[in-house]
Amino acid sequence: MPILDVGYRNWQGHRTPRWTRAAIIASTGIHLVWQGTWLKRVLLFMVVPAAVAAFIVGTFEQTIERPEARAALKGAFRSPVVQQAANARDIDLDTVLDQPETLRHFSWSYVLFGLLRYPQSIGMIVLIGLVAPRLISYDLRSRGYLLYLSRPLTPFEYVLGKAGIVYFLLFMMSAVPALLVYVVGLFLSTDPWAISHTWDLPLRILAAALVLILPTTAVALALSSLTQESRFAGFAWFAIWVLGSIAFRILWAAEQARNGGFGSRGRRIRMEEMEGFSSWMLLSPYDTLGNVQQQIFGLVPKEAAAWSPWVLLAVVSIVGYTIAYRRVAGMLKA
Amino acid sequence: MESGTAAFLQPATVNRLDLKRSEPIQSLEPILEVEGIHKSYRANRVLRDINLTLPPGVVGLLGPNGSGKSTLIKAILGLVSVDAGRGRILQFRWPEQTRALRDQIGYLPEDDCYLQGLQGIESIQMMARLSGLHRTEALRRSHEVADLCDLDQERYRNVETYSTGMRQKLKFAQALVHDPQWLILDEPTTGLDPSQREQFLSRIDTLAKEKGKSILLSTHILHDVQRVCDHVVILAKGEIRLVDTLARLQQPTQAGLQVGVISDVERFMVALTHCGIQSRRTGACELQVLGDGPEIVKRIWSTSYETGIPIQRIDQARNSLEQAFLDAIRDSSRVTMGNPVAIDNKASLPEYR
Repeated sequence: MPILDVGYRNWQGHRTPRWTRAAIIASTGIHLVWQGTWLKRVLLFMVVPAAVAAFIVGTFEQTIERPEARAALKGAFRSPVVQQAANARDIDLDTVLDQPETLRHFSWSYVLFGLLRYPQSIGMIVLIGLVAPRLISYDLRSRGYLLYLSRPLTPFEYVLGKAGIVYFLLFMMSAVPALLVYVVGLFLSTDPWAISHTWDLPLRILAAALVLILPTTAVALALSSLTQESRFAGFAWFAIWVLGSIAFRILWAAEQARNGGFGSRGRRIRMEEMEGFSSWMLLSPYDTLGNVQQQIFGLVPKEAAAWSPWVLLAVVSIVGYTIAYRRVAGMLKA
Repeated sequence: MESGTAAFLQPATVNRLDLKRSEPIQSLEPILEVEGIHKSYRANRVLRDINLTLPPGVVGLLGPNGSGKSTLIKAILGLVSVDAGRGRILQFRWPEQTRALRDQIGYLPEDDCYLQGLQGIESIQMMARLSGLHRTEALRRSHEVADLCDLDQERYRNVETYSTGMRQKLKFAQALVHDPQWLILDEPTTGLDPSQREQFLSRIDTLAKEKGKSILLSTHILHDVQRVCDHVVILAKGEIRLVDTLARLQQPTQAGLQVGVISDVERFMVALTHCGIQSRRTGACELQVLGDGPEIVKRIWSTSYETGIPIQRIDQARNSLEQAFLDAIRDSSRVTMGNPVAIDNKASLPEYR
């Protein structure tokens, strides 16, 4: 016999607006995925490249203030890749190395692009592979979608809520470290004009993060919605990235060989050489994303800038979200 | 067999209501009024011309497996789209306003759906928040309904570790947390032990009688319906076969008595026949007697004295819900869509001696 039993009491109160309810799905999902040990490890590991990038930017800022250190800087800017990127922006390296502060925007851009392109993108593939496959597939298998959709939610809001989980994780993983690197760079710079030289970089970081987040989330949700077995979705997710990348490299190398592209340099394929646009790149989501991010940071030669990667990412995004929506909405029609 | 005798065990003819023609069951505003609901899965017609008006209170939705109960419920909630049909549920137009309607309905799904990794209390809180309660208020309210549903310290355990009974309690708490006007419970007592089931039904009873909640209880456990429901809807092969109050359903068309004896029912029935009293066996130690009044009672006592078979109980006769249910779902070929169900019970009634 309880000492106090209030029993059932009616509830009257102000309800939150309906448009906020997708955020509840997202916040619950983030809470759930955050319980995963591997997720925390991956996120922790992703801090390391950001710290390295911050160190590079900080070192650059400290170096340009000291004439004796400029010689070392000149050496670092002699690599063919940097030369190519500099040419793309009509930068005469020989001239500007005497005034390294004029290279500030280019240097920071390159470091930030490198951070997003390599460690963060690869980390993103691993992280989303761990988290996203079960987002919808588990609900389909356990019929958990009935819990959500018996409340005032539309299938669109449900998908948006699920996408919000991935958006949040990817934003935390890509945009936030890059923005922190930018802020650290500003703090470590002794030049008060640094902010005026680099004011556009936060916007470029956000744009690059957006380009990373939107299509990858679409693909992940589409795969998750297509099966009730999350392991199949996970397998498909990794297969898309790995097989796409391998296919691109093989076809690109074959094309280069046919055109005699390796004649003077031997048969070793250099990553930097693949940064330029090739139509085979569209087979590889990783390289397509990288190309678009490179364009966003202004590091692609003008003649190599192409619209097709943008179009492909837009199409993939639309198709991905449409599949996820139709699969969920289809459950309601069944 | 006399026709009057056969009618004795038939549910009253008024039970088979033509909803378009009959008087409303209650004068209160109906909680649901729908008409012409059709739903097919390709060639399989799951719901056929459902015309239904439900009063406030506790309504039992009965039907054999595959009769369309869950589909009807999901159609009400907008969780399946219907091929045709319209109406009004609570104060909302249906199916146009199903989204707003869901704010006022608490749904306990038949499926064992839960979100792995969440604690019980977090699951309830999430459902409250999805229904528009602010975070803190949702947590406070979640604890309140968890207390009501006897989820003690288990509320802090992850839901995947719950037993079937605890999951049912959790789903009930989730359905109730936003204080809906109408509760739709799809097989809520499945998997509960007798004690838990009684507690669950008691909770439903309290909510309906003391808190004025309307409840639609979908089940095929007739005892649950008898225990808590005011009204009964019987669905078979996607058609509404019967809608009536439980009291009228159990009321025989002719007066009779329910007699319980200690033993030897057959010999007692033979003795009653010799006294000119018609009876039929209704249980291991029970029989129904046609007619009532002091004279009949006196003759029953005399028979007991003469045969030496002690009588345990004498009560006013009631039709069993089971019989009404079986009658309603039988012989679907005689059911005319959109018309009153016309079931010939004579063929299946036991002979009176």
